[in-house]
Parts: sequence; structure tokens; C-alpha cells
Amino acid sequence: MPPALEARSLSLVRDGTIVLNDVSFAVAPGEVYALLGGNGAGKSSTLLTFLGFLSPSGGEVLVAGRPVTQDVEAARSAIAYLPEAASLYGHLNAYENLGYFLDLAGRRVDRAAMDAALDQVALPPEARGRRMQSYSKGMRQKTAIALALLRDTPILLLDEPTSGLDPVAIDEFHAMVKALAAAGRTVLMVTHDVYGACQIADRVGLLRGGRMVGSFEAESGRRIDTETVHAAFAAREAA
Amino acid sequence: MSAPFRIAREEWRLWTRSRVVVVAAFIVAVLLAATSVLTALRLADEAERRTARQASAEATFFAQPDRHPHRMVHYGHYAFRTPPPLSAFDPGVDAVTGQSIYLEGHRQNTAMFADTRAAADLGGFAALTPANLYQLLIPLLLIIIGHGVVLRERESGTLSVLLAQGQTGLAIAGGKALALAGVAGLFLLPVAVLAGLSVTGGESPLAAGLLVGGYALYLAVWAALVLAVSLWVRQRSVALGVLVLVWLMVALIVPRIGINAASAAIDAPGKIESDLVMLAEERKLGDGHNAADPAFEALKKQVLEQYQAASVEELPVNWRGVVAGHSEAKLTALMNAHAERRMESEAAQARIVTWFGLASPTLAVGAASRALAGTDLATHHRFLRESEALRFDFVQGLNDLHATALTYADDAARSSDAEAEKRTRVNAASWRLLDTFRFVPDPAAARAARAALPLLLLFGWLAVLGGAIVAGARRLAP
Repeated sequence: MPPALEARSLSLVRDGTIVLNDVSFAVAPGEVYALLGGNGAGKSSTLLTFLGFLSPSGGEVLVAGRPVTQDVEAARSAIAYLPEAASLYGHLNAYENLGYFLDLAGRRVDRAAMDAALDQVALPPEARGRRMQSYSKGMRQKTAIALALLRDTPILLLDEPTSGLDPVAIDEFHAMVKALAAAGRTVLMVTHDVYGACQIADRVGLLRGGRMVGSFEAESGRRIDTETVHAAFAAREAA
Repeated sequence: MSAPFRIAREEWRLWTRSRVVVVAAFIVAVLLAATSVLTALRLADEAERRTARQASAEATFFAQPDRHPHRMVHYGHYAFRTPPPLSAFDPGVDAVTGQSIYLEGHRQNTAMFADTRAAADLGGFAALTPANLYQLLIPLLLIIIGHGVVLRERESGTLSVLLAQGQTGLAIAGGKALALAGVAGLFLLPVAVLAGLSVTGGESPLAAGLLVGGYALYLAVWAALVLAVSLWVRQRSVALGVLVLVWLMVALIVPRIGINAASAAIDAPGKIESDLVMLAEERKLGDGHNAADPAFEALKKQVLEQYQAASVEELPVNWRGVVAGHSEAKLTALMNAHAERRMESEAAQARIVTWFGLASPTLAVGAASRALAGTDLATHHRFLRESEALRFDFVQGLNDLHATALTYADDAARSSDAEAEKRTRVNAASWRLLDTFRFVPDPAAARAARAALPLLLLFGWLAVLGGAIVAGARRLAP
């Protein structure tokens, strides 16, 4: 079976600046992969190439073994994407947002299924009927995660998913990602949260200046050692 | 429901939930209703007064006692033009040119278009009419409502979610276009109602339908422009600035440039200028009130030969009446030549202004609107020609009476002989020779033909903007 996501010698140049330089990695189906890196490392750009929003200057990206540039619609239909700033409509409530985006994605989901997903992300029931403009960042993030869950795609791309969440919500989120992976979903998340990445990822890739500078893998039955990754991350950033 | 319809519906939900948009739409709706009602009331009032004046003028003319026919030539009469029903929507040039003419001998009295030059062809902005609102304010509202139609999605990040859901740029642009078209359609309701009312008032359904279609096309052009800018520009503030600048250019500046260019390209002398030139030429024709004027020697010779008479006293017709008729015919030919030249110049100016519709859809829709409403320059010119024909027939009818019903001897002696003066009075029943004048608007097909070019220009605008939308949609990215 081909990797769910794969970057092969991926390079990206934007406005004359090298954003990604010969980046290669693969994420197996059901695997949680975390791309770690500081600001401007090229993490989000990597995600956007999988969605076809950015075209590689060199190399290629593949979704389920097929180059994204060949069939971008197929790639997008296999992926649920959670942007960094949870981007939903402020004039709609949680149900309306979910209904709208799922409708556009060709999925009919009833209120019970929405409630189940919103329960899963722990969005308070009393908030669900309110317009999202009154939501906190964490509540918006939870709704966006619920949308990603309801899309029921085999692959999830998460851009800084725990940004703005409180510690309890972060723990709940980590548990949820693990459950998704256990259910066979592939997760590629980009983050600069070393602790969070090591908590849930099967593998961690370290990006710096657009280059893959390190890779860490959890030993069987154990988590990736946070201290090791943190030390590597700090050393690379300091270099 | 297809994705574009779903996206359009969502856009509508945002707009209806946005108080600013609802308030803005309400204000425009009130303005449209107010201008429509006020214009309709004003026109109804004018129509009532015009009918009363026409009846009064005719009654007064017909009630004149027995008189010398040439006194009736100078007594004169009014010709009124009843504006077509659609003028309640677009009064066009009527406000500038007026709708009545005083008809009398030896003169063409009219509010000449050239006095205001081509400015009149814009319809004049002295009064706020429904047409002005549609041409100027509704596009501004479309800009305010729609400039962020795509950029809001981009700036809030929802565009990336939409695209990541598998929506194509074309589907998103299609949805936004439908949403904007819906707003434009809503704004079209008042003109559709006015057009419907005009049909019940006798207007041709074809003209009324085309008028609504013309404004639909115009608002579609603005909606397309708003969408294209929202697709191509990266920031909402920039998009708003660009669109307002385009509005200023297209709605206000280009029309003025068009008028100035038309005035510069085609010299259309004003009424006073024309009258001065004509006066000099008139003198060469001779004074029709003076049968002994040397200018009529050739005529005299010809008439004497025709009747085998040795002197004017021996003629079977009144020489003074013959001179009056001949003089009027010559004078009218001279006046008509000047009037035709002036009208041709004005029409040429108006054509140039219409072609500026290539640079301004506001000019294009204005030209189409006036043509379809029957309030354009061509209609005014036809009124001038028809009323002039009426004037000439009426004056020559009186001159014929002068020549045939009066003897030369009595006519020549009437100033010094009271009995002769009495005999030169013609029975008042003769005043019935004045035809009742009723100006009928052009058939709808003729008006549609005049509106064809500006409507074609609007289609051109829509096609170009449609291309820009498709190109922008294909490259749409977060």
C-alpha cells in the first residue's frame, strides 16, 4: 500500500525565496506524523502543497500514491484540512457552519451526528446555537476540528491545531487524534509544540529553513522522547 | 443543491444578517420608492396641466372672432408633447428641452437642445429620478455590499477551507456571482413594477421589458465588475478603493469627458448663434409683410405671367397673401435647413457620447434607457419636426385664406378704410383649419432599434468582465 502522504525531494520557491529545499518524508496510513519547526521553517507551506494550493518548484507531493498536481480534486477530497486560525463563519452558529461546509463537501449529516462530533471535541451544548462571532478561539478551533471529523476523510492535515486551546482542551485533542489514528486515519500535523508532537505522533520530522534536519520515531509501545526532540529542536534553532 | 447555489445562499444569509447591508438596502429601497412616486406624481400633475392647457389653448384659438388671417398667423398656438408612460422612470432630455412649443408665423420657437449642448443627452441631473438612482447609486451599493464577496473569504481564511473541501475557484466564483445577481435582481424589482405600471398605462410591453432588461444588464455589468475586482485584488480595502475609483470614472468623469469630446468634435451652434446667422440670411429673402419688397420682383413677374395679368391689382388672388405664403415657404425652408443642421450636429454629438459607452456602461445604459423610454434626443427632434410641420401647415393655411378669401384692394386699403378692414376679416370658422396635434411616441421596435447599440456595448462589457472572472476564478488560491 502506498504512503497516504509523501513528499519526494520537495522544493518550493516563492517570490525568489527558498521556502522548502529537498524535503522528503512519507506518512503511512493510520500514522500520526508531526512536522516540527520554528516560524518560517516551511511547515504550513508543506501542508499547502498537499492541498495543491502551492505548486512545488521541484520534486513532488503524492496523496495515496498519486501526484497532487495530476488530480488535485482527488487529493482534496481525501483530505480534511484544519487551518491554523480556525476559519469558519462568524455569522453562523456551529450547526450552520458544519451543515454548510459538509453540504459543500457532498456530505449530508444530521443534527445528531453533528452533536456527536461536537461532544467529541467538547464544545459546550449551550454554545452550539450561538453565532461563532461570540466564540473564543478555542471554541472556534473545536468546531473546526468537529468539521474535520465529520468530513470522515482518510487523511487529516492539521496546522497548529492546539494553538489557542486551554490545557484541558489540548489533552482532549490529543486523545482524539490518537483515537482517529487508531481508527485508521492518517494525520499530518505541523506544530512548534514539541511536547504535544511527542505526545501523539508516531514520528516527528524537524524542519528548519525549509530543510528536513532531523527525524524521530517512537520505539514500539513508547512515546518519542520529548527531551531528545526538544534538545535537537533547540540546538537547530540556535545554530 | 449545487455548490454555486449553496454558496450564493450562504452569501445571502450573511448579507441579511448584516445590519449594515440591510440598512443600506432599505435606504435605497426608500429612495427608489420615493423618487418613483415623486416622479410619477410630478408627471401626472404635468400631464394634467398640459392637457388642460392644450384644451384651453385650442379653445381660445378656435374662439377667436372674425379676423384678418395674418393676425391669426401672429396670434399663434401651442403644441404640447405628452411624455410616454416610461418617462416616469426616465424623463431623459425632457427636463432640459421642455415639452411644449409656441407655434407662430415666421418663427420656430423651441427650447433648442444646443443651448445646453450634449449635456442634455445625459438626462440632466437637476432632479433625482429613478433612472439616476439606477445609473449612479445602485452600482455604489453593489460595490459596498459586494467588494469583499471573495476577499472576505480570503482574509478570514474560509477560502482555504472552501477550496480544501474540493470546491473549485469557478464554483466559488459562480456562487458569488449568483449571490450578487440576486441582489441586483432585488434592486430591479422597482423598475419592473414601474415598467409593469407603464404597460397598464398604454406603454408597449416590448419597450417596458427591454428597459427592465437593459437595467438588468447594467447591474449585471456592475456585479461582474465587483466580483472580478474581488477575485483579482488581494485586500478588501484596496478592492473598495479600486471600485470606488472605477465608479467615479465610469459614472461621473467619463460621461463629462464624452460630452466635452462630443462638443469639441462636432460644433453645434446654440440657438442665439443660429438665430443671428439666420437673421442675416432672412434679410436676403425679403419682408413678407411688404409686398412691394424688391426681393419679390421675380415672384411678381412669375405670378403675373401665370395669371396673364398686367398688374397685381388685376390678379384673381390677393398679391399680399401670395407674398405672405411665398415668404413663409422660403423662410421656413431656411429655418428648417438651420434646424436640421443643428439637429444633425446634436445627433452626431449624442452618437459620440453613446460610443463613450465603450468606456462607461453608465453612458451606455443612459442612452438605452432614454431611447426605450421615448425621452431621448431622437424623440425630441421628431417632436420638433412634427410641430414645425404643424406650424407650417397652419400658417400656410392662413396665408392661403389671405390670398384667396381677401381682395388685394381691400387688403391694401384696410389701414385707411374701416369698411375695407371689415371685409378683410375672415369668418372664425376658418380657424378650424388648425389640426389637433397629438404627439405619438415611436413604436417599440423603433425605440428598441435605437437602444440596440448601447445594449450591445453593455453586452460587450459583460463579456469582457466575464472573461476576467473566469480567469480570476481559475487562479483562485488562499
